[in-house]
Amino acid sequence: MSDHAAAHEAPTSTGIDHKKLIMWLFLASDCMFFGTLISTHLLYRKLFPAGFTDAEGHQRFIQELFSIELTSFSTFILLMSSFLMALAVSAMHKGQLKSFRRNVLGVIVFGLIFLGCQVYEFTHFYHKGLTIQNSVLGSTFYVLTGTHGTHVAIGVLWLILLYFYSFTGKLGGHMGALDVEVAGLYWHFVDIVWIIIFTAVYLVEYLGPYGIWGSGLPAVLK
Amino acid sequence: MSHDSHHAPVACKTELAPERSDLGLYRPDRATGWTDWLTTVDHKKIGIMYGAFAMLYFLIGGVEALAIRTQLARPDNDFITARMYNQLFTMHGTTMIFLGVMPLSAAFFNFLVPLQVGARDVAFPRLNAFSLWTFVFGAFVLNASWLFEFGHLAGWFDSFAWHKALVYTDFAPANGWFSYAPLSGTFGANGQALRFTGVGTDFWIIGIQILGIASLAASFNFICTIINMRAKGMTMMRLPVFTWMTLVTSVLIILAFPAITVALIELMFDRAFGANFFNPSAGGQPVLWQHLFWIFGHPEVYILVLPAMGIVSEVLPTFTGKSLFGYPIIVFSGAVIGFLGFAVWSHHMFTTGLGPVPTAAFSLLTMAIAVPTGVKIFNWLGTIWGGRIRFTPPMVLALGFIWMFMCGGFSGVMHSSAPADSQQQDSYFVIAHFHYVLLGGVLLGLMAGLYFWFPKIFGRMPNAPVAYLGSALVILGFNLAFGPMHYLGLAGQPRRTHTYHAGNGWETWNLVATIGAYVLGIGVVIVFGNLVWTAFRGKKCGNDPWDGRTLEWSLPSPVPEYNFAQAPVVATRDAFFEHKHGAKRIGAENDGGEAGVHMPSQSWMPMLASAGFLFIGFGMPMMAMGIPHAGWLVIAGLGVLFLGVWLWALEGPGGYMLKTPAPAGAPAPAETVAR
Repeated sequence: MSDHAAAHEAPTSTGIDHKKLIMWLFLASDCMFFGTLISTHLLYRKLFPAGFTDAEGHQRFIQELFSIELTSFSTFILLMSSFLMALAVSAMHKGQLKSFRRNVLGVIVFGLIFLGCQVYEFTHFYHKGLTIQNSVLGSTFYVLTGTHGTHVAIGVLWLILLYFYSFTGKLGGHMGALDVEVAGLYWHFVDIVWIIIFTAVYLVEYLGPYGIWGSGLPAVLK
Repeated sequence: MSHDSHHAPVACKTELAPERSDLGLYRPDRATGWTDWLTTVDHKKIGIMYGAFAMLYFLIGGVEALAIRTQLARPDNDFITARMYNQLFTMHGTTMIFLGVMPLSAAFFNFLVPLQVGARDVAFPRLNAFSLWTFVFGAFVLNASWLFEFGHLAGWFDSFAWHKALVYTDFAPANGWFSYAPLSGTFGANGQALRFTGVGTDFWIIGIQILGIASLAASFNFICTIINMRAKGMTMMRLPVFTWMTLVTSVLIILAFPAITVALIELMFDRAFGANFFNPSAGGQPVLWQHLFWIFGHPEVYILVLPAMGIVSEVLPTFTGKSLFGYPIIVFSGAVIGFLGFAVWSHHMFTTGLGPVPTAAFSLLTMAIAVPTGVKIFNWLGTIWGGRIRFTPPMVLALGFIWMFMCGGFSGVMHSSAPADSQQQDSYFVIAHFHYVLLGGVLLGLMAGLYFWFPKIFGRMPNAPVAYLGSALVILGFNLAFGPMHYLGLAGQPRRTHTYHAGNGWETWNLVATIGAYVLGIGVVIVFGNLVWTAFRGKKCGNDPWDGRTLEWSLPSPVPEYNFAQAPVVATRDAFFEHKHGAKRIGAENDGGEAGVHMPSQSWMPMLASAGFLFIGFGMPMMAMGIPHAGWLVIAGLGVLFLGVWLWALEGPGGYMLKTPAPAGAPAPAETVAR
């Protein structure tokens, strides 16, 4: 993004490229962004541990909705996409364009699988009665995970553009590797945030009195 | 003067055809006139535009304030309706903070930071233009709500069906600048999303989000510039204090704005999509809004005041002929203020019933934050002490800053005591306090900066007698207007109240405050008018009229577009002052100067991308208003934003070589070659 062609050659004061530095700064800001969203969700979970009431007026528990197997699978997929992203960055640093394309295509496909799982999950939860409007839980859950999904979608879009850009022959050298590395930083961050969300939103729900290590859900709801 | 002779003001541009982008589009190159200003990536021009818009919004916010004060001049007044009054005080606060002070600070950041660190531009020039235009469009969206309000008052909308569906018809924001939920939010179960307030709140929500994006993008850019683009020898502890305060402010912005962004998104979901974040009838907690808002809102106070502190730290040494007393302590105090700024937000919420432990903790931390602030005041006094003071207009305003800001600080420490605060909450005492901080402090500081750097920006000197007159009227009018409010507040007058009855003993001081407000208004018009006159007609002055200390004064006035013909090499703090009067000279780096300086091409894309926010800004409130198909406007806006960013990414690096004047005594550079 730097307009100075000279900036490629001129060393920066810290030795860190501008683009990399600004991405780190953006990620610092994004930490606060997700931190606020996650805090909102957790605060309301503490206030209203009971879950939500569906359209028929039944009291429902969040553990009933979760398909932890599916979410674990999509979490694993996202983690593996980060691995492929690291390979893509490494390939780019070595100037191996073909390897870069192969790996980045993998990241894109894995990202799309993750998004597909999320779309499925949202639809499934909606049909089970959790909507953004009928409870605070619905509001915080959909907005938090939806914001993360938006981040993933932006990342996928970015990588698709990079993938096609690599065929113009202009993605190369130090600047090309830098562009890919910056996209990689973003991708890894979005992945790490998901690990935190997966833990804070999904896994901890299994620790409470209704979780698998507690007494389990009330028998009537099973 | 030998010290600046190696920067001649004239430079010749080489003839190069503009470069085509990947899509065959031309980047504007060496454009002139309107195209130049609309597509510029030059930090100096962007800074000037920021300043011009900020001054415009200061005047708009000032007119709003005068309408409020006119209404309050007499008891039981009906100069404006209560509904209009709510909209006026909301937009006054919002305008002054987000469209007045912050952009004027940004104007200084833009103009000065690259010059003070010895760089030729910011790290991301196009991103900088994007920040400017996003701010411009966000400000427009926010203020366009007035057009709807006036249209409504004139009866233009009466024939529209959607208009009849609106129960509450305040079109401009009317919740106060903090838009507390549930007033700004919704009520009613199961996504009914019934609202207490009209579409003005939706304008406010989307407008602040757009302005937040502008501030965030600018802050990323400035941090990069300061950390990464320092000239050789410009270590962190040699940075001018203004640049240091810019760094701290930018860090505060990138860490504080996400909190308000999330709060705004949550509120937007409540209002537009029936979510329940702050909806009490569905279990939402309105107090969460207060927490999220003030986690942003208190650092915001320091975002407003630190740049002014930086300016004063530059002005005082210049006009006392002494170096800043305790430079490291001033810098560290600024950083400590920034850090502690995140730990005091709940002192805005003492009366919400936080419980004794948090209240005591936040009381204590609030008292603690007075310490680094006091340290700065003592350091400034130490700087003046024994100096040869020149009472120039910037110096007068800077001294006014110290004095007025200190008064605001004293009443601020009073608020840190929770029991006292519960008496002062929502009274005019609070109004008095933060106007002493933000107007007596920040505005005087920014005005000092304007008078200090105007000769550098335009190469012309403001008229001094008019400047003294304006400054005197500002300080006098300000004290007349806000001094009595301390008394009024302690005598029980509540803030945000449309009118008051006679017989409470408030009549006299309210009238005095209103007269003071008008004196202040006249003063501000004189101060700003003098500056506008200066920009076009002022007497030309030299490159260094004040005997300046930092790098920007070593450059010609106005500063050439490449800033430094040769990258400077700095050996000490206050490098230019040492260069002139001391032993250590500013060196010059041989950075291939014989081929000229590489100048970036201009670009339409930042503005195109920003224009997407214009669509989103109008689409979201209209969607909330229930206007059919308004959601498509939002989607169109996202499309424009994406298109702008995409074309931006595909633009070639562009640029051209600009031959700079030869250094004195050096052989003429070789014939300029195409890049």
